[in-house]
Amino acid sequence: MLKDKTRRLGRRDFLRYSAAGAGALMAPGLVRPAKAETAALTMHTWSAAVDTVQSHLSAFTKETGIPVNYGNSPWAQYREGMVAKFVGGAPLDAMWVSDSWLPEWAEAGWIAPVDEFDSLMKYNAEAEDFCTDSMTYGGRQYGLTYYTDYMAFFYDEAKLKEAGFDAPPETWDELVEQSLVMKEKGIADYPMMLAMAQESWLIEFISTLVYSHGGRLVDDNGMAVMQDPKEGAVEALSWVVDAVNKHEIVSPACVETGELAGLKSFAAGNHAFAMVAKYRLRMLNDPEQSQIAGNVKQAMMPQGPNGSHATVGWMRFHGMSAQAAQDKARAENAAKLIEWFGGKADGAYTFQKLLFLDIGAGFGVKPLFEDPEIRAAYDSYGDVDMIQAQQALARKKDTVTPWFGEWNDTNGSAWQSAILGNVDPAGAVKKSADLWNELKDSY
Amino acid sequence: MLFLAPVMAVLGAVAVFPIAYSLYISFFSIKLTRPNRTPFVGLKNYTDLLGDEAFWGAVWRTVSFSLVSVTAIAFIALLVSLLLNQEFRGRRILSTILLVPWAIPYVANALMWKWIYDSSYGALNGLLYQLDFIDKYMVWLGDQDKTLFLIANAFVWKEVPLATILLLVSLKSIPSDLYAAARVDGATVWQRFVHVTLPAMKPGFMLVMIYETMMAIRHFDLFFILTEGGPGSASHVLSWHIYVETFRNLSFGSGAAMSYLLAIATFALSYLFIRTLGRKI
Repeated sequence: MLKDKTRRLGRRDFLRYSAAGAGALMAPGLVRPAKAETAALTMHTWSAAVDTVQSHLSAFTKETGIPVNYGNSPWAQYREGMVAKFVGGAPLDAMWVSDSWLPEWAEAGWIAPVDEFDSLMKYNAEAEDFCTDSMTYGGRQYGLTYYTDYMAFFYDEAKLKEAGFDAPPETWDELVEQSLVMKEKGIADYPMMLAMAQESWLIEFISTLVYSHGGRLVDDNGMAVMQDPKEGAVEALSWVVDAVNKHEIVSPACVETGELAGLKSFAAGNHAFAMVAKYRLRMLNDPEQSQIAGNVKQAMMPQGPNGSHATVGWMRFHGMSAQAAQDKARAENAAKLIEWFGGKADGAYTFQKLLFLDIGAGFGVKPLFEDPEIRAAYDSYGDVDMIQAQQALARKKDTVTPWFGEWNDTNGSAWQSAILGNVDPAGAVKKSADLWNELKDSY
Repeated sequence: MLFLAPVMAVLGAVAVFPIAYSLYISFFSIKLTRPNRTPFVGLKNYTDLLGDEAFWGAVWRTVSFSLVSVTAIAFIALLVSLLLNQEFRGRRILSTILLVPWAIPYVANALMWKWIYDSSYGALNGLLYQLDFIDKYMVWLGDQDKTLFLIANAFVWKEVPLATILLLVSLKSIPSDLYAAARVDGATVWQRFVHVTLPAMKPGFMLVMIYETMMAIRHFDLFFILTEGGPGSASHVLSWHIYVETFRNLSFGSGAAMSYLLAIATFALSYLFIRTLGRKI
């Protein structure tokens, strides 16, 4: 008997007791309904600040109980990869979007407007106008800011003083004059760094040159005006052509110099002036990464004869997929996720601040300029008032349309051809304008 | 036949279907960014290309690149294979070293040449400057007159080893009594080379010409990494044109049409080589 009472649980016993237990649990009144699990959201970004994104996502899930499947892919393949996801119907709720792709994705019906969510729209009051403009297409707003930045003009203060100048150039003509003096004194072979290689940055450089010459590439109706000599594009390209071929203040290698290579060349002390993204200022004044650290200052973008200090700004934002928007509950959760990243989390612009402190990425909401931590960080390598003043003059790219991608390569080649002397600036810009209008008609 | 079925099924799924499907979509105006508008356009994608200036420019640059590259590869490979066919001290080591470029992946090769050609810190400028051949750093890839030749140089460097091996195999297969007979007839070294060596190397040359022409015509990696088709349109070859049309513009219909034209051109050239070089083999 004793033996029977203490025998080990056999396989048959285990199955019997398990079945009895399961049956008891399934009996009416004994079954406790399982807690309804919130459907996971899917978010995809390009591979930037991945750790920061992941930790912010964890905080989101902890706060809201909404799990998020997170994926990322390199920037270089991001657009093509996302298009494949959209076409293939891959699950997707929120994603990062570049302003360059907004019309294309919106027209294709892949992303949805978010302007019906008051919880998101309230942040527009504190955002820079060009940021909101950059997220708007066809009168609808498609997201909330991830990061924003603009093309800035930097100079090496030590070289400027060595050349005998007290202040940076106010105009593009002054820049030529100062550069020629520097060349004569042997301070730099090519004082101005321009990166005009065929890459994604090129349109930002081109737009900046055109805007600062008081012009535009496309009018409000979407028609090309770049070919009009009064609209700044021909003048801007002529300035570049002369800078390379006549004054020799910009290297002829500019057509093979990408933004990163140009940045490194400037950081190595090869130039006195450079046009690069504003967020590069931190790196340029970092002694571990730059040989001219401490000497790099920002000035307002030089202006053309009929121009202004305007520059181009760009926007990367959090968007919502059309498939998420079709399901009310899912859309509301996606909106919460977008707000957590692009708006305030726990009453503050946490993610934008984290991004700035982590990688120096710019932000599009004005109150952060008053944040003591951000001012202190900026003060360590730049002039926050100058940064804010230039940001206020930033404008969105006027070429962002559904056919932008098809036009962009030809436009870049046309500008390069003019720099190489194959075609005059007016002819190059006309070729670009003709393609623009042809594409516009085909859409 | 039953045993072949799995293989046939796999081949059908991974080769026959994609090829047939790409032909099918080449008759449509398919742009991924306009998913709701994919009209049937028949041969329009093909006929549009005939009047496309950019397409013909790309064709011309592809022909130039292929001609320069394949000629250089065949010539250098011939010289190297003749050298390696001789008995001399260090021949084996030289043969091993020769294989190094072949072992380097295409992308790594392209990145290496990007560093070499860089106009600010490139090894080529450094070398020429230190040897006093230049007094200031030169622009290499940014100079449209040099770009295609510099890319061809990088391509030749990578392709010569394989071509050499193919030619060396032909050389090794020449019976020694042919040379002995030629000597008895009083043939000079040059005459033996022209009348014995070269004719016997025809199969090797045919392989080299077909393979390298196909590689040159559809080569992409170097253009992608070194110049992205620039400066201007100096290196905008057919493979780059197809890439831009298909994967940047996301125009799969016209991209497929271009790919078919490229495939037909490659087949035609291969056939031409076989008809001419292979006639007396």
